[in-house]
Amino acid sequence: MQKDYPRKLIIIPAFNEEANIEKTVKDIEENAPEFDYIIINDCSTDKTRTICTQNNYNVIHLPVNLGIGGAVQTGYIYGYRNGYDLAVQVDGDGQHDPAFLSKMADYMERSQADMVIGSRFIDKKGFQSSGIRRIGIRYFTILIRLLTGQTITDPTSGLRMVSQSVMKQFAEDYPKDYPEPESVVTVLRNGKKIIEIPVVMRARNGGNSSISMNKSAYYMIKVTLAMLIARIRDNSRKENLC
Amino acid sequence: MLTLKLQIIVAITIISALCIIINMIRRKSLELRYALSWLTAGIGILILDLFPDLIKTIADIMGIDTPANMLFFLGFCFSLGLTFVLTIAISRMSVRMKKIAQELALYQKELESLKSENTKKET
Repeated sequence: MQKDYPRKLIIIPAFNEEANIEKTVKDIEENAPEFDYIIINDCSTDKTRTICTQNNYNVIHLPVNLGIGGAVQTGYIYGYRNGYDLAVQVDGDGQHDPAFLSKMADYMERSQADMVIGSRFIDKKGFQSSGIRRIGIRYFTILIRLLTGQTITDPTSGLRMVSQSVMKQFAEDYPKDYPEPESVVTVLRNGKKIIEIPVVMRARNGGNSSISMNKSAYYMIKVTLAMLIARIRDNSRKENLC
Repeated sequence: MLTLKLQIIVAITIISALCIIINMIRRKSLELRYALSWLTAGIGILILDLFPDLIKTIADIMGIDTPANMLFFLGFCFSLGLTFVLTIAISRMSVRMKKIAQELALYQKELESLKSENTKKET
């Protein structure tokens, strides 16, 4: 197993995932036992909180709803402060198969990459998203190639494993909403290495995608702008807090 | 152009608005920082109201034929500037709010694990 990365953390962002959260945790305990996990309950309005407390899950409850970016970032801060060597995001809706995590960690160690993305589009197996969404993802791939010169086949994949140095970067600064393509540009711009490995994703068990059809135009424009700005941003400046 | 009657009405309105704002600052329901632009705007309008010739002079300097147009233009610029400043304030607040929420949640988590560790030790 991975000698360099003994402590591994799974970050599970959960907003109203009462239907899936138990299944997700059970799946992780069975298929990725060498990983610790932390659920970030993003102020869910359903029974997510009760389920987590009853089952004694390792969970952080956010006092206000921060959205996917703020929730996942909380996980990265937790991971970084608790000295984890790598962290991986697994969505609470059951799309991501924990069986791939060990393989991702192996691959990460062997290639000394800073980020490993589980891509649906290398082997083209499993849930491939709808046609129109695939066009959007392809567009982001091209945009990232223009901005950074590198090819990322699945820039919107939420299944991403990061090293301690990227964890630190994300703990300090992480996009608020639709973080995936934007943070890929930031990571590449900081001179870090990203590799992809083929994974099979499942269709979501329940709940809805955060990107509905009428939000998609806003999504495309917002993420495009965010990526362009990430390309020219001054990364030495931290979020202005004090 | 400004009748005396209108001048008085405007002056009374502005002065009472200023009084309300100052009273709100006094009662701390409004931050002086954010009220400052409203106070300066109020005082500016009051000055223009008391010395209407100023309006014409400024319009002449800016090369605007109709003084009323200049008033609309300046008012528009002021609102635009104010909204922009508020947008900056919101951005800053939301970053801070996010950070506070995250820290609170993380400390709560730490506290709970310390508590359960303690009960384990006791039993």
